Amino acid sequence: MAKDVKPTRKNLMEIEDRIELSERGHGTLEKKRDGLIMEFMDILDKAQDVRGDLADDYEDAQKTINMARAMEGDVAVRGAAAALQEHPEITTESKNIMGVVVPQIESSRVSKSLDQRGYGIMGTSARIDEAAEAYEDLLESIILAAEVETAMKKMLREIETTKRRVNALEFKLLPDLYDSQEYIEQKLEEQEREETFRLKKIKDKKEQEERAEREAKDDVEETRAAATGDTAGTESEEMGQSTAGGVPGGD
Amino acid sequence: MSAGASNPEYVNARVRSRRASLFSDEDYRKLIRMGPSEIARFMEETEYEREINALGSRFSGVDLIEYALNRNLAKHFDDMLDWADGRLYDLIARYLRKFDVWNLKTIIRGIYTDSDAEAIQTDLIRAGDLEDRTIDRLLEVDTIEDAIEVLYGTIYYDPLSEAYEEYEETGALVPLENALDRAFFEHLLEDVTRSFGYEPSEGPEALYVEFLQAEIDFRNARNALRLARSGADLDPASYYIEGGVLFDESELSRLVGNYDELVDHIAENKRYGDRLSAALDRLRDADSLIQFEHALDAALLEYADTLSSIYPTSVSAVLSYILAKEREVENIRAIARGREVGLTESEIEEELVIL
Repeated sequence: MAKDVKPTRKNLMEIEDRIELSERGHGTLEKKRDGLIMEFMDILDKAQDVRGDLADDYEDAQKTINMARAMEGDVAVRGAAAALQEHPEITTESKNIMGVVVPQIESSRVSKSLDQRGYGIMGTSARIDEAAEAYEDLLESIILAAEVETAMKKMLREIETTKRRVNALEFKLLPDLYDSQEYIEQKLEEQEREETFRLKKIKDKKEQEERAEREAKDDVEETRAAATGDTAGTESEEMGQSTAGGVPGGD
Repeated sequence: MSAGASNPEYVNARVRSRRASLFSDEDYRKLIRMGPSEIARFMEETEYEREINALGSRFSGVDLIEYALNRNLAKHFDDMLDWADGRLYDLIARYLRKFDVWNLKTIIRGIYTDSDAEAIQTDLIRAGDLEDRTIDRLLEVDTIEDAIEVLYGTIYYDPLSEAYEEYEETGALVPLENALDRAFFEHLLEDVTRSFGYEPSEGPEALYVEFLQAEIDFRNARNALRLARSGADLDPASYYIEGGVLFDESELSRLVGNYDELVDHIAENKRYGDRLSAALDRLRDADSLIQFEHALDAALLEYADTLSSIYPTSVSAVLSYILAKEREVENIRAIARGREVGLTESEIEEELVIL
């Protein structure tokens, strides 16, 4: 991954900016995750209570309706249920918990008084009242459970997303960015070293050339000086030398 | 119908033979150990054979038992009305009107919920005073207003017409149902003295009146306790039934506001206090009306049983049989439904009212 980046100073600066942003984001997300978990724990406790109540209410409601059906007869219970006029209504609103939108369910006309249930009071018994009451309680528990459990599920989903983001930042994005940064830094350092070395080499070479040039020049000057000082004495020698050297096959 | 001389001896003789075929304790003990299908099978070998066989192809399980029981009950009570003449007919019919009230309520609820006539018909118990023809006509109408028109000339017409206005305003069936129940209870004792020709102070007629008063008192007590417990903002006076000895209207209105005082008032009553004391204690402790209602049912049955043994050839004996038969039907249904929903044997036994 890190090898994909061009090791330029511009990229390095960009990566450094991204690292800074990611580290800041990582911190914020971590705080959000911890906050959500704390809120979730509260909701979880509530949800557990609500679940327990729901199970109890359901059992209770089943028991009372079974008793009512047994003692009053199925026909009487069905008849009383048929007389119900106003059906319960629910309205949903939303609430924001740390950026998570959770529903808030308002119910109306769930619990009814004796005269709102629709059946005549004179001809019915307390068993039907108790069954109706138990089912009203159950319905309220269901509505509450729906609210709490939906909130819990939404929170859970949000926690998971946040956790995934935190982990992605912590274990993938940031390490990659650090790698790239290191890679570019190393590359740039290497380039710098190469450059220095190259310059050094060039300098050496240049110095060598200069030295060679200077030496050559010195030689020429020396020769010239010598030539000017011993022109007669050396002419024949030179000639002989030059003949010997110049015409090797002259012997 | 009520023309001609009363014939309590004849009716009693026939009722006595019917009474002998009621289920015994031993039968109940057997039934409690059976499942719904076994109960239906058992019933097929008893007095309910015809109904079980007739309904067997349409229903099954506990529904079959319940409908068979209802049909059998209707047949028996119808027979009694056929046998009875004169004053006795009047006295029996006025008690059996409770089934008319049941049927009318069922029909009105059926119309209210747009149920089809067939479904309503299966839930009826044709044991009352209303003619089958009237009930069949009621099943054909589409609106509650038309149903009330069909009842023109019966004791239900006026109260229903009055309650209809309230029903139109509120859209709830409560006023109609209460009007029907009230019509039944108020006609229970109405003209009873005229029917006897004198104010009965002793003898079978006095006991008959006492029994009906007990029925009214128990109903008032039940409703008062339910109202007191529910805390609903209802006018207790509108649920008060006249004719009882336990409360008068102002007393009831005052007591509904104070639950403990209400219970004390019932306990202090000379006629019912001792009989209901155990149930009232339980009511104070457990705060459950069901056990109390249970005790009321048992007390009423005991009452009727005493009546039948004191004056064996009076209307009291017939009433006693009506109650015993009703109780049998309720007990069998309770056992069958109880077994269906998985109640234990001891739970069912607790709920049964057996004399």
